[in-house]
Amino acid sequence: MNSLTTYLFIAAALFVIGVFGLLQRRSLIGMLIAIELMLNGASVNFMAFNRFLAPDPIIGQVYTLFIMGFAAAETIIALSIIIAVFRRIHSINIEQARNLRG
Amino acid sequence: MTVNLAWTQDPNLLAAALSALTPFAAFALIMLFARPHARLSAGISIAAVGVSLAGAVFLLVRNWSLPAPIQITGRWLISGDIIIPFGFLLDPLSLLMLTIVATISCLVQVYSLGYMAGDPGFSRYFGFQSLFAWAMLTLTISPTMIQLYIFWELVGLASYFLIGFWYEKFSASEAGKKAFVMTRLGDIAFFLGLLVVLIHFGNLNILDMNGPQATERLSPVLLTVSALLIFGGVMGKSAQFPLLTWLPDAMEGPTPVSALLHSATMVAAGVYMFARIFPFFSHSANAMTVCLSIGTITMLLSSTMAMVTRDIKQVWAYSTISQLGFMVMGLAAGGYAAGVFHLTTHAGFKALLFLCSGVFIHHYETNDMFVIGRHGGRGLLIPMVCMSLAAAALSGLPPFSGFFSKEAIMGVLAGQHNPIWLAAGLLGAFLTAYYSFRLIFIILRPNPTERVHAETPGGHGNGHHAAGLYWVMAWPLIILAAVTLVLGFFQDPLEAFLARLQTVSGSHGAGHHAWLPIAAVSLALAGTGLAWLEFGRKGAAQMGFVERIPALRALFANRWYLDHVYRRFLDYVIYGTFSNLFTRNDRRVIDGAIDGMCRATIGSGRLLSFVQSGMLQYNLMVMFAALALVALGFYLLG
Repeated sequence: MNSLTTYLFIAAALFVIGVFGLLQRRSLIGMLIAIELMLNGASVNFMAFNRFLAPDPIIGQVYTLFIMGFAAAETIIALSIIIAVFRRIHSINIEQARNLRG
Repeated sequence: MTVNLAWTQDPNLLAAALSALTPFAAFALIMLFARPHARLSAGISIAAVGVSLAGAVFLLVRNWSLPAPIQITGRWLISGDIIIPFGFLLDPLSLLMLTIVATISCLVQVYSLGYMAGDPGFSRYFGFQSLFAWAMLTLTISPTMIQLYIFWELVGLASYFLIGFWYEKFSASEAGKKAFVMTRLGDIAFFLGLLVVLIHFGNLNILDMNGPQATERLSPVLLTVSALLIFGGVMGKSAQFPLLTWLPDAMEGPTPVSALLHSATMVAAGVYMFARIFPFFSHSANAMTVCLSIGTITMLLSSTMAMVTRDIKQVWAYSTISQLGFMVMGLAAGGYAAGVFHLTTHAGFKALLFLCSGVFIHHYETNDMFVIGRHGGRGLLIPMVCMSLAAAALSGLPPFSGFFSKEAIMGVLAGQHNPIWLAAGLLGAFLTAYYSFRLIFIILRPNPTERVHAETPGGHGNGHHAAGLYWVMAWPLIILAAVTLVLGFFQDPLEAFLARLQTVSGSHGAGHHAWLPIAAVSLALAGTGLAWLEFGRKGAAQMGFVERIPALRALFANRWYLDHVYRRFLDYVIYGTFSNLFTRNDRRVIDGAIDGMCRATIGSGRLLSFVQSGMLQYNLMVMFAALALVALGFYLLG
């Protein structure tokens, strides 16, 4: 159980769940959460490779820390965009934000 | 332009630059500042051309016995191996021509003071006169064919302005256009010829082209081709067959302009260029023969046209064409000095003829010689006497200048193996005398019983006949008449001067035929006599022998239907075929292609806009699907 493949499967599952959520959810908040899931899937991959294939130096862990920081920043920006969209169309449903359709 | 010389130190350069550039300065001054002030403009222009004249005379006297051609150039353009210099070339030919041009321009401008008095475009007129003088003066002293070509076109431009000077008149602006376009036809050939020489010879320097290198570096075929192409320019500019019909129409301009155009500048430029690279031409015997025949055709054709026209200026216009043809004949037969000498004398007496006619036209406000005669044209003593003198010179009667130069050309023609050229020349002399004196007798001995014809539209309606103006116009006539009288006696010094630096194998002087002058003079006298018989004697019917044959008369009066041929050609070939095809091409192919492209763009835009659903998630889905497919592909193939 404690092998690389297990962690890769977990990571892939997380990532695919994220992708699915991103595509399926119509609420902006839901999409944001899905993106977090995808990021976490990537982080799990980094950690797993760091642990099993390249333990020294611990670049994988550093990367994961960066991803977490980046995710926090990204969330802030995304939330502010969501607020701006909400102020404009009084909804966070993405189906309402289709002004640019051809 | 850099001149590696302390140019103020060299009197030659200083004089040449002054005489060439002052008229341009005058043109700029008049057009920019002096236009509202008519008298100031005229003053500037005449002063400028006076400076040019002084410079030209100074140069001529100073360099009368110059040992070698003086060439002063500065680099103007460099492109690869081709260097195009700008500057001055002073040799006997250019010095002589410079003096002629400056003299005639100066006299014509003084005369114009009287002729153009009161015209609303007075300043503009003098501005264009200055432009004309500048272009022609610089043309004469060009050291390279490129510079010559540039000023050649400027001369054409200036003459376009002056011919169409009364642009409110439809016929005048049409005539200006015709002159411009027809001479341009020849100029295209000229330019092509220059390119041929430039590509194969690598140099357009006149002295080099005239030197022996030309035969070394150019094959005989190329030499002939380039000479003939360059001769195309002469055909356009000097109104040779078949491009001759613009010149009679150019009479729409003010008469002093015609005088200038016909004697020393525009049309003389063609013959001058021929003489300028005469050695180059003489390398190719075939080209010379073509030139000779074209000159002959031109001379005879235009002489016949002159025999039937009633318009006083048209007669002199046709005679100019005919005399230019005569010059071309002389040059093409190898008579360099004879041709140039005829150019010189012709400049004098042709300017005189036009200026005299100008006095009549100005006074009676008609161009019709019969009307002038009936209104008592012979009462204007000075123009009448001067015009008779000039007509005698034109006919080649001794002792006037035309006699000497015509004899010189006849002598050269007699030296040809084929006697047809000499016969044509003698016939031309007869016709010339006939039509010149026809005009003189019509004015001198008006026939009171002659029916009043509809007066030809002509003259311009300014009715200033003040005595002062008359004398302003008379003085140039007297000076030119004096020149016409004495110039013939300077034949030997002039020919010696011209031959000084000319080392041409093909150039041989007049043949020694004792009977020739007698034959020519008796033919000229016969022409005069015939004119007297039909127009001059008491009770004459004033009807020429040509006019008794309606078909012939119509042929001559319609200029051998040359204009009709051009018209047909234009209508059927240019407008009917090419223009039509191009229009269709424009509408169908080009417009259609552009419109089709527009429609296709719009349509594809419409089509593609379905992709932009406004739902980012769909786009994302496609992206992921594509990525997944790529990954699958790598997995399966890799």
